Amino acid sequence: MKKNEPNWLMVLRTVMPLGLSYIPIGLACGVLLHAAGFNHLLTALISVMVFSGGAQFLIASMLTINAPMTTIILMMFFLELRYALLGSSLSRYLKGQSLPFILTFAFSMNDENYAVNYLKFATDKHWKPKQALLVEHYSLIFWTISNIIGSLIGSALTINLKVVDFALTALFIYMAIMQTKSRLIILVSAISGVLTVFFLVLMKSTLGLVVATLIASLTGYFIERYLMEHKPESHLLYKVHDPTRQSAMEESDE
Amino acid sequence: MQSVSSMTSMDHFLLIIFCAIVAFIPRFFPLLFFTKRAIPEWFNEWMRFVPVSLFTALVVKSVFIDSRYHIMTTGNLGMIISAILVGFVAYRTRSMTLSVVIGLVSVMILVLVFHI
Repeated sequence: MKKNEPNWLMVLRTVMPLGLSYIPIGLACGVLLHAAGFNHLLTALISVMVFSGGAQFLIASMLTINAPMTTIILMMFFLELRYALLGSSLSRYLKGQSLPFILTFAFSMNDENYAVNYLKFATDKHWKPKQALLVEHYSLIFWTISNIIGSLIGSALTINLKVVDFALTALFIYMAIMQTKSRLIILVSAISGVLTVFFLVLMKSTLGLVVATLIASLTGYFIERYLMEHKPESHLLYKVHDPTRQSAMEESDE
Repeated sequence: MQSVSSMTSMDHFLLIIFCAIVAFIPRFFPLLFFTKRAIPEWFNEWMRFVPVSLFTALVVKSVFIDSRYHIMTTGNLGMIISAILVGFVAYRTRSMTLSVVIGLVSVMILVLVFHI
């Protein structure tokens, strides 16, 4: 890391990979929102106010099938419920911050900047809440501008929904892989996959996602607790090899 | 592309406001609550399994489940192959940008050119 680098530049460098990957996703999302009937101003507004790729994709695709507003809002509620879990896991790094800070921080927190900030807080002792907030705002700028540009070019394009939707899937695969630190996590991921299919087909609603997530994560928690107590040598607790050796660095920092 | 929604811009505006409120509540209150109180240990340990469960669930939904909540049996081979490829790229490179771009290119080729 360079010395004497100004703070804004250092944070910008941290957020750059995220910002760049927001460009194709944001463009796709803007195109999709345009197709759903949003004008440019509304697309800008939703990018700032909701600021969640998954949610905006969902709103756009539900609008194109003329779903009623109450259904969309209910779906949003269950989709966004996961932020409760993300927020709680970041909270120990934000102790002692003022109410306005927590308000602002919560307003612009989403999956991706959470991942960046969580990794920074966990590995860098000098990472400050103020810098974390700056990460959120940089990512917000990248996201909103990409959405607006997507909305502007949307009228000139014929899009294939399946293809642009996959940008988000790829992002979630990446984030799942980054979470895979032990063999047990791979097992939890597999359990979650099977439960997701089961509950989505059973419940015919995205609520199935919430149920599958809750059961899979609780199963992982109880398996780990059982193994720690009874079989601490279990192969399930082995760490997963990291080809770039990033996590090896994380551990030595702790 | 033409607008297919029957809602007006005012409806869209209201929708955004409601969605923003619904998005804000779960982001704000747990964060506020747990910055004031200690998080129980079991909660932290449980939390370590939540993101991976959720992300897997979202991926499985978009690759294997269609919009009417049926299991997709045709037309998703391109997505399955691309998803495996993205997983491999993410594991090897740990780069978000590369994962997304390679995933998009792969799905474009497989779906738009080969129609699988």
